[in-house]
Amino acid sequence: MTLRSDDGHWGSIAKSFHWIVALAILGNGIFGLLMDLAHSPMQKINWLALHKSIGLTVLALFLLRVLWRWGDGRPREESAPRWQQWSARAVHVLLYLLTAALPLSGWWYNSVTGKPLQWFKLFNLPALTAADPDLKHLVHGVHEYLFWFLLLVLVAHVGAALKHHVFDNDDVLRRMLPFGRARRAAPADPQPPAAPPPTGESP
Amino acid sequence: MKRLLPLLLALALPVAASAADYTVQPAQSTLGFSSSFQGQSFDGSFGKWTAVISYDAAKLADSKFDVTVDVTSAKTGDSDRDGALPGADFFDAAKFPQAHFVTTGFRQNGAQVVADGNLTLRGVTKPVSLNVTFKPAGSGATLDVDGALKRLDFGVGGGEYADTSVIGAEVKVKAHLVLVAK
Repeated sequence: MTLRSDDGHWGSIAKSFHWIVALAILGNGIFGLLMDLAHSPMQKINWLALHKSIGLTVLALFLLRVLWRWGDGRPREESAPRWQQWSARAVHVLLYLLTAALPLSGWWYNSVTGKPLQWFKLFNLPALTAADPDLKHLVHGVHEYLFWFLLLVLVAHVGAALKHHVFDNDDVLRRMLPFGRARRAAPADPQPPAAPPPTGESP
Repeated sequence: MKRLLPLLLALALPVAASAADYTVQPAQSTLGFSSSFQGQSFDGSFGKWTAVISYDAAKLADSKFDVTVDVTSAKTGDSDRDGALPGADFFDAAKFPQAHFVTTGFRQNGAQVVADGNLTLRGVTKPVSLNVTFKPAGSGATLDVDGALKRLDFGVGGGEYADTSVIGAEVKVKAHLVLVAK
């Protein structure tokens, strides 16, 4: 497995970004929904501090990931009906946007409540806006509903990946799995490679 | 003359023995504190307190501060924190509604006058020292004091809240008093 992506594979850096960000944002989202299970105010303070630290990490990883993806490129798209390719791209763009919007809306909420924002007790970050108790409820709603929306988009993303894997028998999922190997990686593969996707991938 | 002597003594002694007495102008005076939460400092103040001030820079041995603070009157600009402060984990205002500071003596530390005293907070009495800056102004004076204490010495924020990586260990105390001679 190489660090960089090539025409047939996602590189290990791209895979690491994908799976670490996926686990962190999902885990942190569920963690966020369970905050009220804290048995004491101090435990909630500590849980929230951890939630914020993980969220800021997701935001930092998002920025690094976009930079890496920009220089790294991606494997060729599998041949598929045009509407499926466009849907896949739309879902990917949405997932990227939500990966940034979730931590940013959390940062916004934290600013509105006037609480400190600390990364793993190491350093503090400034507020994005002035404290405004009247906005608390609204911004909290934005932060939470963005996560529900992320889950909805994720159903499409995961569903499509499984559909490719199970029904289309192609490499879409395999080439993103941590230790997955593309079926067509072997040169002696009897199956001829599918026709390359239509050119003019990007608008 | 024999009858007058006790009267003269009575009049002369207070002048000779005690420092000047002042009353605090509450509207212009503040009693504040500051600490930190999650790496960010915050300032708070007490809205209700009284102080009996007797001070003369030339008669430090006879000077005295006696301050009583209503701990339920603490405000720090955060409703969660202000809600928690009077609770049993912090000031425990239900059991200990008042904090009390009284000086035990004054000393000169270089150019700085230091007031040594005992602070009783949350039922615990410990020595606390304050730097004193006293400036006569007309018939009155301004008095600025500042010092620091460790909140856990008094059990403020004990138990789960004892984690000083979240809530700072040190609390700075700062007061500005506008005084009028009695």
